[in-house]
Amino acid sequence: MCIDLESSEDDIQEIQQEIAVLSTCASPFVTQYKASFVRGHKLWIVMEYLGGGSCLDLLKPGPFNETHIAVICRELLLGLDYLHREGKIHRDIKAANVLLSSTGKVKLADFGVAAQLTNIKSQRNTFVGTPFWMAPEVIQQAGYDFKADIWSLGITAMEMINGEPPNASTHPMKVLFLIPKAPAPRLEGSNYSRELKDFVAACLVKDPDRRPSARELLRHKFIRGAGKVEALQELVERRQEWTGGKGGRTSHPRLYEETMNTMSVKEERDEWIFDTIKAPTLAPASKRTQKRRKLSLMEHSTPEEALQQLDINGSPHQQKAPIDPTLQKNSERRRSSAKVASPARRPSGQKQPLVPDMSFGNSGSTVRQFRRVSDNSPNISPESSMAGQDENRPPLAETVTKESLLGRRVYSSIVENTFQEVHSQTSTHAKREALSRVADAWSALDTIDPEGEYQLLKLIIEKVYSDPKLSSLLPSTNQNTPQKPKLVLATNNPHLRSHRRRQSLQVPEEDIWTDNHQMNLPGRLVPGMEHTKLLADVLYSRWAEGLKTRWPVV
Amino acid sequence: MSFLFGRNKQKSSAELSKLVKESILRLDSAGSQKAEEDLARLLAQIKHILQGTAETESSPEQVYQLITSLIQEDLLLLLAVAIPKLPFETRKDAQVIFSYVFRYKPPNSPMATEPLALNHVINSRPEVIVALCKGYEHRESAMSCGTVLREVLKHDAVAAIILYDEPKSGSLTNVANGANAGKGIAAIQYETPQTGQGIFWRFFDWVEAGGFEISTDAFSTFRDILTKHKPLVSSYLSKNFTLFFGRYNSLVLSNNYVTKRQSIKLLGEILLDRANYQVMTAYVDSADHLKICMNLLRDERKMVAYEGFHVFKVFVANPNKSMAVQQILIKNRNKLLKFLPEFLGDRTDDEQFSDEKAFLIRQIETMPSSPIPPHAPQPATSGGPVSAGTVT
Repeated sequence: MCIDLESSEDDIQEIQQEIAVLSTCASPFVTQYKASFVRGHKLWIVMEYLGGGSCLDLLKPGPFNETHIAVICRELLLGLDYLHREGKIHRDIKAANVLLSSTGKVKLADFGVAAQLTNIKSQRNTFVGTPFWMAPEVIQQAGYDFKADIWSLGITAMEMINGEPPNASTHPMKVLFLIPKAPAPRLEGSNYSRELKDFVAACLVKDPDRRPSARELLRHKFIRGAGKVEALQELVERRQEWTGGKGGRTSHPRLYEETMNTMSVKEERDEWIFDTIKAPTLAPASKRTQKRRKLSLMEHSTPEEALQQLDINGSPHQQKAPIDPTLQKNSERRRSSAKVASPARRPSGQKQPLVPDMSFGNSGSTVRQFRRVSDNSPNISPESSMAGQDENRPPLAETVTKESLLGRRVYSSIVENTFQEVHSQTSTHAKREALSRVADAWSALDTIDPEGEYQLLKLIIEKVYSDPKLSSLLPSTNQNTPQKPKLVLATNNPHLRSHRRRQSLQVPEEDIWTDNHQMNLPGRLVPGMEHTKLLADVLYSRWAEGLKTRWPVV
Repeated sequence: MSFLFGRNKQKSSAELSKLVKESILRLDSAGSQKAEEDLARLLAQIKHILQGTAETESSPEQVYQLITSLIQEDLLLLLAVAIPKLPFETRKDAQVIFSYVFRYKPPNSPMATEPLALNHVINSRPEVIVALCKGYEHRESAMSCGTVLREVLKHDAVAAIILYDEPKSGSLTNVANGANAGKGIAAIQYETPQTGQGIFWRFFDWVEAGGFEISTDAFSTFRDILTKHKPLVSSYLSKNFTLFFGRYNSLVLSNNYVTKRQSIKLLGEILLDRANYQVMTAYVDSADHLKICMNLLRDERKMVAYEGFHVFKVFVANPNKSMAVQQILIKNRNKLLKFLPEFLGDRTDDEQFSDEKAFLIRQIETMPSSPIPPHAPQPATSGGPVSAGTVT
């Protein structure tokens, strides 16, 4: 899970408090927080990996039966009982936030909105959660306590038996009015057992004081009759078969940070003049390169960075530190499932649990303070990357010539990215390995001989251009490779262009080169339609948030 | 162990404290496993006595006895030192106990008095505070200690103890020896410049190193130390100006994004605080500080640039700019006038920001073409802090 700190106006302190809540949880019914670390301006939060996927995912093939629901509810109540005893409220219980391990263990996830009550008796007054699952007292902002989670659990039970929460077809904003006013939802009819109906009714008591606690509900008949968690493996298997049968299930468009990041389009600029240090031309050469080098490092913080960050494996600066096996497995698997947008190449039955799913149910979350960027990034070991190590790495060989500067730039702004990009699209392990080796070798070249690096690339490009067959072939090959909506290297991306402009002014000699290359870059893709949908979602939640602040309390 | 259960309720507070003490001392020895288990049980018991449980209320008399015995046995220090070694759940219990004990006032005591145990710590056992700070040295204890620290930092004496702590040659032996009169808050020498070796200066390392959770937790404590008690901090910063900002600049220039962004923000807050007027004027006189700050404006990360802006504006708004500062601004006038209008241009909904930016542009436009010697610095006459709003 990754939070882009740059895009969050919120105080870092708030995020810190969330992590504080996370890190004080240790229960078999709650996804375990492992570590967090910062790379550049991205905060990565490493959580326990659960291979079964979320209940929302498992619902895709169809609703659950009551036997399964009873087990899930019991495990959830155990988790809630733990949290509530710890003085914590989850505040966003729903199928999407219930994760299953491949062995059927059930765990609560996503503490994005969890709150810590310092005093057991105190109440909260903030407005968080997802409309359909929200308890009436939360919506009314009348102050609420851990009983709010019990309501959401009841709704989740209904979601699991019906495939969707009550009022699912209603507009989320309207639901906010509806829940406090309408009578509590009920399960009715002969399709459901008496126990389940009664359990749901017990959870969905509008008066929080009369709503039972998690501990009390554990004694409910529906719960006492629940079987073993292993039974839930059926759900996981069912889901795998379903995906396998469907074959080409299109994946959700990935949420990339730069799809929404609005960078200010600044004009080209040059260095400040500080009297006390010598004018740039007189500055000692080494100092100058260092500065340049620093500039190229800073590119990590541009929109391009998101992709760079997504796969650091190809990066030559990767710290080869011992990796926690669970972590490794986690990222390996997740990578294979998350990376390839093309349906044909998508391995079946693998889900990414902690990634925001922009499909129905998750998108309605009215309060999402930070943008979570999908975690495609493998093999980051927290030990090695504490405190942004890649920025701390010692300055590389100091060079002076124009060519070497250009070489450095070629490497840091193009070659590195390209490797990472291609790497992230390669699915076979062997192929990836080979690619990493080339990337490493290239990085070595960059360290030792940036000038040669520049010459090499220049020659390659020149030769490609001079070969009529190749130069005409190039673009079409690119289109054949499976692509996700890739903005990063799209040359028509205004951010990138302004960024280039800035850069090119600093080293004007390279203009020709850049232009050449611009024509040639892969991924000249205009974002597709999925992408618009995404934006619409984001705009909607922005709008909803705005409404919320202006809104008179219901 | 069944005999313990029978006597649990009756076990006197003094006995309980002794048992805890023994277990803590056994933590490092061979039977540490057993000691951990005992401690877990004992601390949970203490927590229940203090807080009561869902079913039973705590008895005021028992609470009073327990807290006095904790003080007598010097358990607070032992416990503070031992926090990193405690098991996960026990650590949380210890945190609850500290929070409770440091808030506890005997019944019927006047409102204004300091909590009993805290008063003891402040006046004769400042090592407890220092030990809690040292919790940041361990991943395990950082958050628990941080929480307790931020609670006690509501008292200015605690901030003073942290700020003015200096390593003492005999401090190690003191830990084991009981009380030692003449230390604590009364012993602080406010006039002596700091050596930079005390516990406060360790925070400069803690806020930058370690994982996100530790460094940010340390930073919120650091922020509390520097912002909660203004007169204290203001005089401290004035006395130790060079040392402090020397260290602080390294945070602003940090490679760690989080440290960098948070420290720039805090710097802005410190400088714009009326209480820190003297510190601010000294700060904005320095051309080096201006340079750091102007480079921040150029940072590609817009939040860094944005926080940098709030420091930069203080330099420009200052009516008595030093010669060096004027020189830099004049030299860069054209660049600034070109740069600023487009600076963070997408912050259209931030009116205050746009206003301040417009103000700065005007200030820079109207600067004379060559530096003019500033008036004799008379901070007292110019009134409040120099901020974009007050100077026009």
